[in-house]
Amino acid sequence: MGMSRRTFLQSSIVGGAALSAFGFDVAPIFAQSRTLKISRTTETRSTCPYCSVSCGVIIHTLGDRSKNAVAQVVHVEGDPDHPINRGTLCPKGASLEQDILNDRRLLKPQVRRPGADHWEDIDWQTAIDEIARSVKKTRDATFVEKDARGRTVNRCEGIAWTGGCTDTNELNYLVVKTMRSLGVVYLENQARV
Amino acid sequence: MAETWDRRIRRAEELTVGGGPESPLLAFYARLLQSQKAVYESLKNRGPSGSIEDDVLQIAQSGSALLHDVADDGPDQLVAEARTLLQSDDSTKRDLLLTYWSDRSDRNFFAKALLQPCAQWLATAGLATIGQRPAGADNRCPRCGGAPQLSILETTGAVAGDGSSRQLLCATCLATWPFRRVVCPQCGEEDERKLGYFQSTAFEHVRVDACDSCGRYLKSVDVGRLGLAVPLVDEVAGASLDVWALEHGYQKIELNLLGL
Repeated sequence: MGMSRRTFLQSSIVGGAALSAFGFDVAPIFAQSRTLKISRTTETRSTCPYCSVSCGVIIHTLGDRSKNAVAQVVHVEGDPDHPINRGTLCPKGASLEQDILNDRRLLKPQVRRPGADHWEDIDWQTAIDEIARSVKKTRDATFVEKDARGRTVNRCEGIAWTGGCTDTNELNYLVVKTMRSLGVVYLENQARV
Repeated sequence: MAETWDRRIRRAEELTVGGGPESPLLAFYARLLQSQKAVYESLKNRGPSGSIEDDVLQIAQSGSALLHDVADDGPDQLVAEARTLLQSDDSTKRDLLLTYWSDRSDRNFFAKALLQPCAQWLATAGLATIGQRPAGADNRCPRCGGAPQLSILETTGAVAGDGSSRQLLCATCLATWPFRRVVCPQCGEEDERKLGYFQSTAFEHVRVDACDSCGRYLKSVDVGRLGLAVPLVDEVAGASLDVWALEHGYQKIELNLLGL
């Protein structure tokens, strides 16, 4: 029965005399291979979420795909094959790994009271209620129905909104609808800067 | 080019000093590199004919010293083969080289060992291509059509976060050519779930890039992580990774000159 070259090589190393294809004694190397702690990492192509340039990135995720193993991002680099950025990243993109892993990421809403020198945790419902009250109070106090020439403008000049480059199209749609309905004119987004 | 051979030899000798289980392999490889450099030196002052079929006789004649070196200091299998070749006539040696040139079998140690310096000699002489790359096969050497021995990762820029570009190194002529990341160099698989790399802290700059679609792998040497690395030699030094890969069912795209 014929044996393929690869099968012969495999049997020589695993079950036989531990010789390479050219007869080198690899028994010590075989022994060393048994001591190696090997980890599997997957590279995933993705797009930097920050601005509209949409640079390509490669995300390295450590994990052996076992059911009880949690995959963890260990490295993010620019994608050298991406036509937009050719592997380079701006400081925001270069710190994407920290975006995912840094233990100083905020995980709950916080508030700093007037005159306070620190931030306090606040629950979501309380935060939303306080924001809603502040919006109504500010709009009521600063709404301009007619400008200096008597033209109807219906502007809310006491509120400004700035979005971020990670905001989705869906969120931005709601932002425009909500803010324009309130009369907000100072409407900006960091992504276009 | 002589400097390149010198750098490879120095690197192999440096890594041999470490005394690890791969040291005997590296010591042999250092001596083989010396022999290959001698072949290159003996050829470089001659002009190639432009046809590998016409040049192989010169190569066979220049390779006698390499055969003697391996016959004096190699594993039994190669010693026997070297002695047989030394007793054969020039046409036998010529046929051996031409057979390898057409089929590129990585089990043909002497042909591969002799043609590597020869191919570099042809490149030095200004020949842009010395073989035929199959149409559309960007996973084969553009200069000679050879298979990739390993891949080299190198940072594209000086800024942290900039990505590493990949080059493949030809097993036949040692040329490098650019190749995309996150693609299998054997079958072209692009599904990242089927492509993973395996690494050990024992070799921080060498990793096994494997494909679960075709079951093949090659090793990547990241010179961004270790600037002193010489990919052709550091790939040999990571021999235990080859054994690990074999044990886990992966087959190498191209065996190196140590048979791993």
